[in-house]
Amino acid sequence: MIEVKNLTKRYGANVALDNVSFSVEEGKIMGFLGPNGAGKSTTMNIITGYLSSTEGTVTVGGYDILENPNEAKKLIGYLPELPPLYMDMTVKEYLNFMYDLKKVTLPREQHIMEICRLVKINNVYKRLIGNLSKGYKQRVGIAQALLGNPPVLILDEPTVGLDPKQIIEIRKLIKDLGRNHTVILSSHILSEVQAVCERVIIINNGKLVADGATDRLAHDLSADHRLIIRVDGPENEVLHALTNLGHVKEVLSYGEKEKGAYEFSVEADMDYDIRRDLFALLTRKGWPLLAMRNTDLTLEDVFLQLTSGADPAVVRSKTKKGAEEE
Amino acid sequence: MKAILRRELKSYFSSPIGYVCIAVLLALFGFLYFSIMYTGSSSYIYMVYSNMFTFCMMVIPILTMKSMSDEQRNKTDQALLTAPVSVTAIVLGKFLAAFIVYAIAMTGSLLPCVAISLFGSPSWGEIFGYYLGSLFYGAAMISIGVFISSLTVSQVISAIATFAVSIFILMMGQISSLASGTFIAQVVDWLAFDSRYSYFTQGIFNISSVVFFLSVVAIFVFLTARRLESKRWS
Repeated sequence: MIEVKNLTKRYGANVALDNVSFSVEEGKIMGFLGPNGAGKSTTMNIITGYLSSTEGTVTVGGYDILENPNEAKKLIGYLPELPPLYMDMTVKEYLNFMYDLKKVTLPREQHIMEICRLVKINNVYKRLIGNLSKGYKQRVGIAQALLGNPPVLILDEPTVGLDPKQIIEIRKLIKDLGRNHTVILSSHILSEVQAVCERVIIINNGKLVADGATDRLAHDLSADHRLIIRVDGPENEVLHALTNLGHVKEVLSYGEKEKGAYEFSVEADMDYDIRRDLFALLTRKGWPLLAMRNTDLTLEDVFLQLTSGADPAVVRSKTKKGAEEE
Repeated sequence: MKAILRRELKSYFSSPIGYVCIAVLLALFGFLYFSIMYTGSSSYIYMVYSNMFTFCMMVIPILTMKSMSDEQRNKTDQALLTAPVSVTAIVLGKFLAAFIVYAIAMTGSLLPCVAISLFGSPSWGEIFGYYLGSLFYGAAMISIGVFISSLTVSQVISAIATFAVSIFILMMGQISSLASGTFIAQVVDWLAFDSRYSYFTQGIFNISSVVFFLSVVAIFVFLTARRLESKRWS
């Protein structure tokens, strides 16, 4: 649905985007992550035809944004970083204006009211946009992007300024929309991307640094795949039993963590899921398993690792320390 | 284009700008009519219109100051430029909205003439000549104003710059007289709005003047559209 090829954008000597390529298939939700100034908004502005690229092409639904701008733009609903709202209009006037501007052909009243219900702005429908709170303005911005039911939605930080309850509602809305829309969503809230997106792209300093399924990305980038287990049983016997288990490469004991319970780190062969064997072993021996977790990176770790250029171990230990302090 | 035109017109009249501009122009018209008709006769109506030429030049910058600059400052141009409309349609919508407000004021200026016609016999041919002339040079000034407002995000700078250009255009006749007889004087005279306008005030419907003013409109609408386009490439 969206094809971005070798996109480069230079502002004089400043390179905002450097040879970025990706594509998004129909009906997928893609998360777009990156620190401030990484080029997220620039990319989105280029895809929607607000900015032009220095090099590279963007096609939306088969239409090149430069060669057939009007055809391509008809397919896109765009919520920019700052919602493009006219403060001197009421919500009603504004949505009707955008309806005309986008040359929507759906039944006017019905379509606009349906969107208002969807983003819950019908109670402010007749109020002046300039007098609305930030959250409402943001939602009017989302409503504007949904007008005409475009197959592609590009949302630049859609949940900024919303309260926690609204954030959950809007996330759910985006997820629902993702079933029959192609969505690109930028965010700096990692849990949001993790909750909503199937796929995530991370850019840093204008360069694409990661592209993959949200849950695979964390797994693939982790340097080690170990299980940390806590077992209620005699330390040395457990250690011995674990070491002799098939597919196990290394077992370390972290010592007594609770009264009578010890923590172990188990490293298994790559691509072998040891958890079931482990459970069966412990059950057979009658040692209750109290906790098990893996050492895969979280999306947050991945993000920090990729965008700060720091050593993964350093990043990890930092976050761990932070967790302990909490 | 229609959507933008409608929105712009609405915004002129949802804020005081539209009313104030129309009211100021009509009040000045009324005053000039009164003072000139009081001392002269309806055949002096050309004096009213040649004075109004100056006043319109002062009001037009107020009409055009926010047309593009406000969009850029509030980032609402993102909605316009990512919508399936051409840049030329956006600029034309903006231009026409300002022009319609101006035309309303100008049409209002015909009212005193109607009043006079009840008691005398003004030359309607002449009056319509002025009316049309004012519309044409007004259109040219508005297109320049819209262009200038696309160059800056500040309404104040936009208004002042347009005002400065207005004054320069007003003084073109005097500038050419400083260098009379030279090639420069010829060029300046050819470009001067007031000499083009003066045909209308003499009751002559000069096609070359009409073409001149319409060309100015076309050039500046084109330049504004290119200016919006060029922002994408910067």
